[in-house]
Amino acid sequence: MRRASIYVALVLLAAVSVVPFLWMVATSFKHGPDIYTKTPSLLPLDKKTGEWAATLDNYAYVLDVGGLGNAFVNSVWVCAILVPAKLLIDALAAYAFARIPFPGRDKLFMIMLAGMMVPAITLLVPRIHVTQSLGMFDSGWGLIVPNIASVLDIFLLRQFFLSLPGELEEAALIDGAGRMQIFWRIVLPLSKPVLAVVTITSFLFHWNDLVWPLLVTNDPELYTLPLALQQLVASPDGGRAYYIMAGATLAVLPVIAVLLVFQRRILQGIAFTGLKG
Amino acid sequence: MAAPVLERVTTGPGRRARRRPGARRRDHLIGWLLIAPALAYFLIFLLYPALSALYYSFTDWNLRTEASWVGLANYADLLFDDVKYPHFWKSVSVTLQYTLIAVPLTLVAALAQALLLNAIRRGANLFRLLLFLPVVTAEAAVGAIWRWLYDPQYGLINTLLGLVGIPGQNWLNTPELVIPALAFIAAWQCGISMIIYLAGLKGIPGSIQEAAIIDGAGPWQRFWRVTFPMLRPTTFYLLVTGVIAALQVFGLVYVIFSGNGRSVTGGPEQSGLTYVLHLYLFAFRYDAMGAACAMSFILLVFIMIVTALQFRFVKQEAA
Repeated sequence: MRRASIYVALVLLAAVSVVPFLWMVATSFKHGPDIYTKTPSLLPLDKKTGEWAATLDNYAYVLDVGGLGNAFVNSVWVCAILVPAKLLIDALAAYAFARIPFPGRDKLFMIMLAGMMVPAITLLVPRIHVTQSLGMFDSGWGLIVPNIASVLDIFLLRQFFLSLPGELEEAALIDGAGRMQIFWRIVLPLSKPVLAVVTITSFLFHWNDLVWPLLVTNDPELYTLPLALQQLVASPDGGRAYYIMAGATLAVLPVIAVLLVFQRRILQGIAFTGLKG
Repeated sequence: MAAPVLERVTTGPGRRARRRPGARRRDHLIGWLLIAPALAYFLIFLLYPALSALYYSFTDWNLRTEASWVGLANYADLLFDDVKYPHFWKSVSVTLQYTLIAVPLTLVAALAQALLLNAIRRGANLFRLLLFLPVVTAEAAVGAIWRWLYDPQYGLINTLLGLVGIPGQNWLNTPELVIPALAFIAAWQCGISMIIYLAGLKGIPGSIQEAAIIDGAGPWQRFWRVTFPMLRPTTFYLLVTGVIAALQVFGLVYVIFSGNGRSVTGGPEQSGLTYVLHLYLFAFRYDAMGAACAMSFILLVFIMIVTALQFRFVKQEAA
């Protein structure tokens, strides 16, 4: 009896969690007039006849006129460059901080960690100013370079590298392997789990990020998907639920796909990282 | 510090002594080279912005002209001049109310979900995945979806409330309902806290629960006397990070209340004008960068005080 009530509660909670998405997808396939009904329908049905009436017109509209097609491509590009570059820079630094002794290393690491404590919002305005001074404002570079490293990721990777057994490395050093060979051939292959967590959380964060693209771009040609979706929500013409839900579906689907494929790693990773940038 | 240790080992007897001479100096060079990109990023996009934000907070500046030094005027005007900054205290109050409602609501929802998930075996992975779904969704999409769910005429929320006889509300256009409506979205996105609570629950030794059962404790007593006290470190962590995040809430509010193009107002009667939305408006709509920088340092100091108070007055250790 008790078991049954637990399942009932979970089903209700899961419904609260999932139904908004189902309704989003349903709305995205409906003809304009069919979304304004007294009794809500999770299926795209004709308002008058009650027959099946799904349409792809909303997607065609937002991809083309709404600019979401272009924004989708931008988002893919930004993530395709940013995520691997960031992973490499963070991993190299983390490896040096964990394994290569050099003077001042630990002090420097503490200073960088302290810098992480400053709330992101405090840095936003001057960061935009720096981006402007470097001539990257309102350009593809501006979307990528100011996010190209993450102190938190360096911290996570360093903790993992510290936990690797040192014997392999020492043996390789004695055999005459260079530091970079050790990094590529020994450390990285042993670190796949943590590299996966950092990659996935980075992808999710940058794919979803609204604030930085909002601040650093003016040119609609450069908009990423979240920003284009926000513009669609704000525009008097596009502010129609069926367009917006088509746009939201486009923004959410890749993320759901990533979640389904990598669920084990993501959920394990969250337990020790939180979801961050 | 690791450097002196290595020096002793490389020059002393033993296996490592066989490394080639000069390896140590080369290590220094490689070490600096490997951290160079990250260090450059840190200096250019973290340290310099942090220091210059502090400097600009004492200036009158609009990104285009030279900043002119005005001392503490920005701070004083924000705090005391309600003609120049009429909505400053309103945004403070909106943000505090949001934090006070959203954080506890999120923690309760997350803990409830974690307890339920922890009590079952079959299907636990599926439910965990479904409950986690709202977290990975972009705030732009979350805002868009919930605007539609809260639609006063055709929204799913009002329809469902109608089924149980509660009259529909114009959620996002009624000043008193805006903060509860936003807090509910935050609780809907409680998945990360849920996962962390779940990890905490798995860490409680089964023997303690069994001992409590043998002592005749009912489920309710076991929760309040055993489980919840054991989860105190987790709750403390989630409370501190949750408050810090809630005080900075922006993206979701921006999407929901961005209205038509440039006329962001922060919702009906500024009821959704959170502190950071207000800061954003000053920086990027009203060209008052100096004031915006001052606002961000007021927030920084406030967050530090609130966090310190939590460390001082909230029990952190497991009982």
